[in-house]
Amino acid sequence: MTAILIGLVIGLPWLGAIVLWLTRDEDPRLQHTLAVGFSLAAGCASLALIPFSSAETAVRIPMGRFFGDLTFTADGLAVTLTAIACVVGSLAVVFSVDYMHGEEQLKRYYAFVLLFIGAMTGLLLSGNLLFMFFFWEITALCSYALISFYNDDPKAVAGGIKALIITQVGGVGLLAGALTTYAALGSYQVADLLAKAEEIPAGLLTVIAFGFLLAAAAKSAQFPFHTWLPDAMEAPTPISALIHAATMVNAGVYLLARFYPAFESVSGWAFSVMLVGLISAFITAVMALVATDLKRALAYSTVSQLGYMVYAIGAGGVLASQFHLLSHAVFKALLFLAAGSVIHSVGTRDMRRMGGLGSKMPFVRNVFIIGALALAGVPILNGFWSKELILEVGLEHSPIWAYGLMLLGAGLTAFYTFRMVWLVFFGTGRDQLHIHSAGLAMKAALGILAVGTFVTWLSFGNLNGLLSSTLPFHEIEHESLLEMMGMVISAPATWLALLVVAIGIVISWIRMRGFKFFGGGWLDPLVESSFGFDTLNRIITMGVQKLAGQLSLTQTGILSWNVVGILGAFLAVLVFLIWSA
Amino acid sequence: MTLTPLNAVFLGVILLLVIGFYGLLITRNLIKIVLVLQILVKAVVVALVLAGKASGNLGLGQSLAATVIVADTIVAVVALALAVQVRRRVGTLDLAKISTLRG
Repeated sequence: MTAILIGLVIGLPWLGAIVLWLTRDEDPRLQHTLAVGFSLAAGCASLALIPFSSAETAVRIPMGRFFGDLTFTADGLAVTLTAIACVVGSLAVVFSVDYMHGEEQLKRYYAFVLLFIGAMTGLLLSGNLLFMFFFWEITALCSYALISFYNDDPKAVAGGIKALIITQVGGVGLLAGALTTYAALGSYQVADLLAKAEEIPAGLLTVIAFGFLLAAAAKSAQFPFHTWLPDAMEAPTPISALIHAATMVNAGVYLLARFYPAFESVSGWAFSVMLVGLISAFITAVMALVATDLKRALAYSTVSQLGYMVYAIGAGGVLASQFHLLSHAVFKALLFLAAGSVIHSVGTRDMRRMGGLGSKMPFVRNVFIIGALALAGVPILNGFWSKELILEVGLEHSPIWAYGLMLLGAGLTAFYTFRMVWLVFFGTGRDQLHIHSAGLAMKAALGILAVGTFVTWLSFGNLNGLLSSTLPFHEIEHESLLEMMGMVISAPATWLALLVVAIGIVISWIRMRGFKFFGGGWLDPLVESSFGFDTLNRIITMGVQKLAGQLSLTQTGILSWNVVGILGAFLAVLVFLIWSA
Repeated sequence: MTLTPLNAVFLGVILLLVIGFYGLLITRNLIKIVLVLQILVKAVVVALVLAGKASGNLGLGQSLAATVIVADTIVAVVALALAVQVRRRVGTLDLAKISTLRG
């Protein structure tokens, strides 16, 4: 049964992608219906998979000596993230029915979305590092194709290529880690790596651990790779929701959480993970303070929240990070889709031109505020519980200055979140914008996510039970929902965090009234260049291009020149062989 | 080096390679270049069988050789077809003249 469900969860989206690719362009209705049908079916299958989760390998397909067995394991970590990917992904597809209404080339759009969801579930369920890498690369390809979906817009194409190149750098890290594992253990199995981590020589284990950290940082847009996610905002908004909430960026956090027990002992690894998360969470929160583009502000907040998860893993809180991942997936999808319906209605992403939209689109305003409250960490929404858990773990297992910075970050989060709310929905309209109302499919997706924002934290006990019973190598204590609630409410750290959040909201309220809100301060130039990292990116790409240009001098296109080259290499090998013999 | 059968074949391979590379260096005619490349590939085919025999894995060497023959036939056909097209479009098969048409 587990095997069938795993097959359905990966196979349905991919089958859908193929079927959609074969449809005719003249029938957009059919394309919408097929995409929604396949993605919802995959969502149902992924939910049905949850009760079947176990640490046992569910599917084992021999693939020959080199590749090892292709295995799929539906353990707690994998099924949770699979459910997030499929359910949130299918809601993004439902939302697209309205958002992409009347667009050209729908089949390219939907086919890549479904391929993306399928690849993500494959990546999560795969128990073989090499195949995990394959799925990993397919998600990178899909994100590229979807970010540059509007392929006549140079900015969209540049954003897509940037995402592709940066995540490729991370892919190299994952591949290096996988191959090193094979060299050390003679197996690509994830379970083997977790079980026999102590048998691997310390040097090799360090290579694997930091290779995986590189991969995770690039995929989850963590420092120093945080530059690609904001540029990916050129994508259609449902894609942003898909990348930010359901798929893609979760993969990095998943990778770290999955292999935490194996690398815990590597000296400096956990601290590096914590530091990466800390820096990302903090600097992107600062960047979100002055962003004027609604989607960019949300993108910065995603990097920041992912930073919280990575920080939690570095501090040993795998459970807290996965809990926050679940909360974040729901409320960030809600925020993105709500922002999408605002953008769809008014036709601009610039918050300076919005304002006073709340009275014209009350439903969207209400759900956006729910998402914003969750992002800021206001009780009793899901973001509150998970963020408090992370801060709790941080207080216990990380240096006090790190905890202080994360606390400050929570205050900044509250500030920029409510700055967005005031700018978009309240005040007076700054520009005469023509407003369409949101469609039914949009409202349905938003409504489900808004309800989810209220209730997903209730599943804490189940999530905890799943993780603690099916992950033999992670030491996760079993804790019920009530125990967690009691712990969070009684901890003084919670009240401190709430105070900081409240201060953030109040300051944003004060600044809204009368103070300049649109930047123009000393922060702007720094943020514009992503704290200098965009320049760094540019220097690297320019350097590579220049080198390539110079190397092209050796490509004369003259046959004799090539033959001489071949013979020269031949001779060099011969000389080397004779000399070494 | 005594002339065992294996050594004789090895010398043959080297001879074929030398002929092939010499041909590549001096030839200017596209058709002849395809022929010379064929000689080089035949050297590789013989070398594969030889390596199979020498390592006691004759079956492997032979199957690889058969694969090379199949792939190479296609390469030759396409190369010749291209040569025909070049002759039609450019009016010459002389490599020196063709390579001045860069751009």
